[in-house]
Amino acid sequence: MSVRPVLRAASGGVTRHRAQTVVIFLVLLVSTASATLGLALLATANGPFDSAFARQHGADAAVLVNSANASNAQMAATRRAGGVRAAAGPFGATTVTLNSQGFSMPSSLVVGRASPGGAIDDLSLATGHWPRSPDQIVLSEGLGFYPGLGAKMTVTTAPGKPQLTVVGMANSITNTAGAWVLPGEISKLRSAGAPTQAQMLYTFGSASTAAQIRGDVTAVSSALPAGAVSGFSSWLVAKQQDTTNSAILAPFVEAFALIGVFMSVLIVANVVSGAVVASYRRIGVLKSIGFSPAQVVVSYTARVGVPAVAGCLVGLVAGNVLAVPVLKKSAESFGVGSQLVPLWVDVVTPVVLCALVAMTALLPALRAGRLSAVQAIALGHAPRTGRGYAVHRLASRLRLPRPVSIGLAAPFARPARTAGTLAAIMFGVTAVVFAVGLNTTLARAEAGQSLAATAPVQVGLGTGHAMAPGGRADRALVAVLRAQPGTRRYVASAFTGLSVAGLTQQVQAQATKGNSAWLGYDIISGRWYNGPDQVVVNTSYLNQTGLTVGDNTTISAGGKSVTAKIVGQVFNPGNQPALMADWQTVAAVEPSLGVAQYEVGLSPGVSTNEYVRGLGRGLGTKYWVSGPQSGQFYLIADSLIAMLTLMMAVVAGLGVLNTVLLGTRDRVHDLGVFKAVGMTPRQVIAMVMCWIVAPAIVAAAIAIPVAAVLHSSTTTAMANAAYTAVPASFQNVYRPAEIVLLALSGLAIAAAGALLPAMWAARSRTATALRAE
Amino acid sequence: MDTLIEVSDVSKRYDSAGTFAVEGVSLDVARGEAVAVMGPSGSGKSTLLNLIAGLDRPTEGTVTVAGQRIDSLNETSLAKYRRQRVGIIFQFFNLLDDLTVADNVMLPAQLAGAPRAKARRRTDDLLERLRIGEHRQAYPARLSGGERQRVAIARALVNSPELLLADEPTGALDTTTGEEIGELLRELNRAGQSMIMVTHNPDLAFRYAQRTIQIVDGKLAGDTTDGRHVARAGAGARP
Repeated sequence: MSVRPVLRAASGGVTRHRAQTVVIFLVLLVSTASATLGLALLATANGPFDSAFARQHGADAAVLVNSANASNAQMAATRRAGGVRAAAGPFGATTVTLNSQGFSMPSSLVVGRASPGGAIDDLSLATGHWPRSPDQIVLSEGLGFYPGLGAKMTVTTAPGKPQLTVVGMANSITNTAGAWVLPGEISKLRSAGAPTQAQMLYTFGSASTAAQIRGDVTAVSSALPAGAVSGFSSWLVAKQQDTTNSAILAPFVEAFALIGVFMSVLIVANVVSGAVVASYRRIGVLKSIGFSPAQVVVSYTARVGVPAVAGCLVGLVAGNVLAVPVLKKSAESFGVGSQLVPLWVDVVTPVVLCALVAMTALLPALRAGRLSAVQAIALGHAPRTGRGYAVHRLASRLRLPRPVSIGLAAPFARPARTAGTLAAIMFGVTAVVFAVGLNTTLARAEAGQSLAATAPVQVGLGTGHAMAPGGRADRALVAVLRAQPGTRRYVASAFTGLSVAGLTQQVQAQATKGNSAWLGYDIISGRWYNGPDQVVVNTSYLNQTGLTVGDNTTISAGGKSVTAKIVGQVFNPGNQPALMADWQTVAAVEPSLGVAQYEVGLSPGVSTNEYVRGLGRGLGTKYWVSGPQSGQFYLIADSLIAMLTLMMAVVAGLGVLNTVLLGTRDRVHDLGVFKAVGMTPRQVIAMVMCWIVAPAIVAAAIAIPVAAVLHSSTTTAMANAAYTAVPASFQNVYRPAEIVLLALSGLAIAAAGALLPAMWAARSRTATALRAE
Repeated sequence: MDTLIEVSDVSKRYDSAGTFAVEGVSLDVARGEAVAVMGPSGSGKSTLLNLIAGLDRPTEGTVTVAGQRIDSLNETSLAKYRRQRVGIIFQFFNLLDDLTVADNVMLPAQLAGAPRAKARRRTDDLLERLRIGEHRQAYPARLSGGERQRVAIARALVNSPELLLADEPTGALDTTTGEEIGELLRELNRAGQSMIMVTHNPDLAFRYAQRTIQIVDGKLAGDTTDGRHVARAGAGARP
């Protein structure tokens, strides 16, 4: 086979049909970019913790030792304790309260380490550098507090309230500390009278269950003097939190990936096969001058292959570039340091898409190769006569401007191509409607969890300790709260662990003093408590106890028990059972209940940030004040939804652009006739734009129920992953007026895709168009 | 003479380095005149017609029809010019296959914003006059060549244009049908319709036009009136 004429024919096609070449390039670019991003997210969402844990040599347990009771040598010797595989430390540690510009954080553990690296708990430095001088500090991203590099942090609990400069943000996969300083600084940061502490990090031979870790820590404790170990944290707790986050994220990423893959396959197939079919006439001409079937196949596969491969490669780069910030946010959300697009994604995505292009180009090219020259030329002409005539006749009776009625009837001349357009718009609208619904659901879930709308401010004692109700600290805080302009209402909260009949583990309980219904927790079923002996619980509580709303539950602590009625189920995700009740109910079993914090609601129009600053000034450094914080999970979910939706809308628009482009090429002669008999450019644009109106309406009519079902099943899957049911308000997010507006998104996508070819058609020279066949 | 068309020193070339399709042509056409444009293939006849029809723009020179300079009009104004002032008949009819005969004929009137009932009345009237009324609901593919050309003529006349332009109107028809169409055009001209007709056929030109213009290699090569050949010294001459 002579290659030269084949290459000439292929390169001629690429340069002669520039618009189609650009469309193929763009479709493959966006498809590859979205597929790369989607697959990368799926891959990393399916195990970010495990991969990061392995990469960062995560500690199975971080043990806090009272160094007054154990020497450094004794601590170091625990690496030989039974079950211990490796150990790091001891690192000096102390608990401090940090304050930045009047904002106090809850107390955090600060650890002294000379460097972020190490055989265990190899910290990942997200920004900045490790402390180089005594007055520098690196904060953990796990704190969810980002004051910015160079910010000054006052250690309010340390003698002399020293100031430290934030020089970096770091991640520990198992959250071993809230901040790090140089080892020599710990003694200066220790509050007066606080015990000297040190942190030991361990990996164990067996650490896959909580019982194994408890056993391992007991072995370590036994190797130290009695009472030396004051506490420990397990990697399983960190994994639990991460797995919940990634599990919640996975269903919607998978849903988007599903839509994206289907749409990419459909549009790539439509664009590529359309490009070859549209060239049948030229193929006929090539055959008539002596091209063999094989040369035809190679020439046309190469013609679409060149822009397709170029699009794939650029799309791969774009996908990786886009994935960087998303994966960074994802990593921050999961606290896993950094994530990269897996290599297999970078290999599989372009290979699969190029294979798809080759396949979709090959089939019509093979068919064209087998046709006789005359048949190929005949097939390359405009649509077969007879199709869509009845629709044209009906449309002509409509009382619409003639370009509009002709445009509305046009899609019926090419039913297969119209079906492709319809499917492209349908996938695009599905993505948009699904994204809008998901966004609303997530916004409601975030508002429900953060109480940002009702109680945006929390305030408590800076040491993190609870206040005796009515005690001096409590009275002082309440007095400032009352005096602070903008305070509308507040309620005291206490947190304690309780035993519950039927559960082996402790339940986290929150007690509130006074009317707390205004806090506005989302109720899944039942109602909020309005007096003693009533509780509301989360879904995990009901699932794990087997109780339902309306049943009685017995809670106990310190040998005291009380039976209360479960009056409601609240939205409180997580697999830890949780209970909320009136102060009196919890205090009946836990008389020493102290006020951990106040939830504060603000008067309308009051700026939360200004209120927080004002309250901080009023209270001084003894108390911490916190404003609403957007959950990282919701931030990443929102940005992901926006990015994926935009990409899908763009791909759908390109699909429409391609179809309309092919349509204008098919009908170039007719367009010339329309213009010759007096159709103005504006009327041509209107007519061509109307080609896609009927498919867009039908696509929207199909897409909206599909998206609603997808939304419902995805939110249910996300909720299941988060061990919770969802309130009806999270599911019923589509209002009739919104549905009408969302349906218009189909028209918007279609119009955006059709506009360029419509303008090209309007600008084409009439005399040239009339000469075209 | 009541001048309808004034072509002044018009040239057209399709690419800047290429040869002229039409070069330095000047001519006037009076209202009510029937002019045949003749010349060999590729001589520039159809290009000249396209310039007068506003389907293409001259590279140089001016084209004025009914007092309106059309070479400087924008696309929208050109479309309005085509729908109001000229009717165009093509060799291969250029009917829209997916529209019925009546819809094809009505289309220019509808594009011009004519009321539906008025456009329909005018269409029915034309189809009857052109003896194709029984085919008004048929599709063009089912008609003979002569019938299709009658439909094209009806479409060209639906907006009662001042000027009818015909590009090889009998070129795709057999002799008998061609003569029928020729007669039809002559009847229209006798009724006062101004007309320019591009043709290869000297007999058609002689029988149905009062004046014949010769174009050779894009230049005006001659002009005959009532069968008398008037030789021209060169391009740019006016009759």
